[in-house]
Amino acid sequence: MNLLPSAATLAALVKIGLLVGGLMTAAAYLVLLERWIAAWVQDRRGPNRVGIPLTKIRLFGLGQPLADGLKIILKEDFTPSGVDRVLYNAAPLVILAASLAIFAAIPFGSVLPPLGIPGLPDPVPFLVAPGLDVGVLWVFALSSIAVYGVLLGGWASNNKYGFLGGLRSSAQLVAYEIPLGLGLLGVVLAAGSLRLDTIMNAQAETGVWYAFAQPLGFIVFMVASFAEAARLPFDLPEAEQELVGGYHTEYSGIKLLLFLVAEFLHMITAAFLIVILFLGGWHLWGVTGSSQEIGWIQALLRFGILSGKILGVIVFFMLVRWSWPRFRFDQLMNLAWKVMLPLGLVNLVTVAAVEEFRPQLVTALGPGFAGAVAIALPWIACLAGWLVAGVFTPSGTDNTPILTHDPLDIEREMAEHERLERAPHDVSPTLAGSR
Amino acid sequence: MDPVSTATVSPSGLLLAGSVAALAASLWLLLPKASDTVASRRLGFLLGAVALVGFAATGRSLGCVGEDAVFLTVAGIAVISGLATIVTRSPVYSAIWFAMTLAGVSGVLLVLGAQFLGVATIVVYAGAILVMFLFVLMLAQPSGMAPYDRVSNEPMLAAAAGAVLLGLLTLSIGRLSAAEPPACCRMPSRAQALAAAAAPADGAATKDDESTTLIAPAMAGGDTGDANEVAHLGAELFGRHLFAVEVAGVLLLVALVGAIAVVSRGEATETDHRREGR
Repeated sequence: MNLLPSAATLAALVKIGLLVGGLMTAAAYLVLLERWIAAWVQDRRGPNRVGIPLTKIRLFGLGQPLADGLKIILKEDFTPSGVDRVLYNAAPLVILAASLAIFAAIPFGSVLPPLGIPGLPDPVPFLVAPGLDVGVLWVFALSSIAVYGVLLGGWASNNKYGFLGGLRSSAQLVAYEIPLGLGLLGVVLAAGSLRLDTIMNAQAETGVWYAFAQPLGFIVFMVASFAEAARLPFDLPEAEQELVGGYHTEYSGIKLLLFLVAEFLHMITAAFLIVILFLGGWHLWGVTGSSQEIGWIQALLRFGILSGKILGVIVFFMLVRWSWPRFRFDQLMNLAWKVMLPLGLVNLVTVAAVEEFRPQLVTALGPGFAGAVAIALPWIACLAGWLVAGVFTPSGTDNTPILTHDPLDIEREMAEHERLERAPHDVSPTLAGSR
Repeated sequence: MDPVSTATVSPSGLLLAGSVAALAASLWLLLPKASDTVASRRLGFLLGAVALVGFAATGRSLGCVGEDAVFLTVAGIAVISGLATIVTRSPVYSAIWFAMTLAGVSGVLLVLGAQFLGVATIVVYAGAILVMFLFVLMLAQPSGMAPYDRVSNEPMLAAAAGAVLLGLLTLSIGRLSAAEPPACCRMPSRAQALAAAAAPADGAATKDDESTTLIAPAMAGGDTGDANEVAHLGAELFGRHLFAVEVAGVLLLVALVGAIAVVSRGEATETDHRREGR
């Protein structure tokens, strides 16, 4: 038996190393970026002091992630009494492992030009697991495993805030997985594949990004991925003002760091998915071309364009954080089940119809006009769906309290309450009052 | 008590019967009961380990266990966490062990080449259903549970039935692979993997069904290519089995509507009543 790893294994290991290293660094510097953007939105200066250690060079505060990381790693790793130790320790590992393993199926570029190394597939794909046919489902599966980290962390730490955070999180993630999946299904239908690299190639070949071909799906997917990443309009699992720190209230030191990194990885995953599925991946009109036979410059250009788009989406995530108030939980659920789910279904049906009748359209109208119709129909569906959702589900997002009693009833009930208070052995007054 | 004893008694048959007995005893000792001691649990763990080794050895002598280390690892995870699921005291831990079982099963499916089924197992069961289980279990704190909820009903019967079922399955699958030796040892084709995954869902107790489902797709030609696996599965589901899929969908929809009707009955009728009264 040959114990030496094959070239393909080595290539996979190199890719894993690059990806994990890159992601961890990116997560650290995205924290800095987030703080800068927060400061900019709130008209402050933000972190700008820490530069190169032991010198007075500030470098705009670029040393801050290093200092933060060192601080949080060196902190005491305190385990409160009364926790369920096994699950308490396992939860951060589960969430981080799942969040990192997601990236096995996510391409982070197009392909490299042929390297001529024996044993390697000739255009080397920017993808850790190029043989995985069900990339999209893999992403889904592992992001649903990451829920366990949140849920178990909240439960095991034996803290009411942690527990509430865990429960909220699981309810939210399960609810928003459905619109997320519906938004995704439209893209899968149009591209005819569950592989993320094939989906990108399909957009590059036609030049029509799915955000333009399926606007409703794009909106639904975008909103749902905000919820899946638990970013601000949907950050109820760890709403600081209500739950201290949510599910990681009782965590400290490096375990807390694992949770925070995993949260950032969720946001990065969401940005990757939005760009790959809807914004054309590495494709940009007139710049990157669409063929798989490329030179080094093209390969690096595509990698750069993909990264640039992802950064753009992440900045959008961060700006939304400071421009939108948090939902109430009932609003959150209303939005998922009464608005996003029907809109996702409308999108799916529209896309299915367009894809089904595309050949007939092409023969009847000619390829150019058929393409225009195939884009126009989803836009009409988007506008119609949005109008209907806006007109018929207003109570889902307005802030007026839901009256379970008629105002006139309240006076009668207060009188009844007083009567009961005078006769305490009749019924417990608190029970009668809260009826 | 076991069909092995009536058939020709071979060493592997004896080993299988012994493993079944050890597994039954181990399960009985480990299942949550009112009269549990530490010693009985330790004995149960010991017997369980012996039974697992016995089963593995039986499988090897019947020519069923492949050499693949990855397969052995994921299969071991699936089996051991499956046992742990039923013998754990805490419901939350049970659910987590069940999730581990599903991860193991999904690993087995991935090793067999059935990528879609492997990943879909995680998405549907571990990702959605078990999270709901955990949700409910955590809300209903186990500390407040009645004692009769914390012990298993009929532990002896359950342990014996489970162990005998496992023995029968091992025997039938072993005979199957003995009749067609390479079917189980070599890396199976995708079609076989699909069939193997579909077999437990059909009710694995009926041996005849299982053997036909295992063999039929292999004879139909196991050349479902890499790129088309999901497409083949989809065509099969929405072509030949369309009626079953639709019936299952309608059933689930009815259950959903019924659940909502049951849940919303109390408050809605009260407010309606009040409105009507005014």
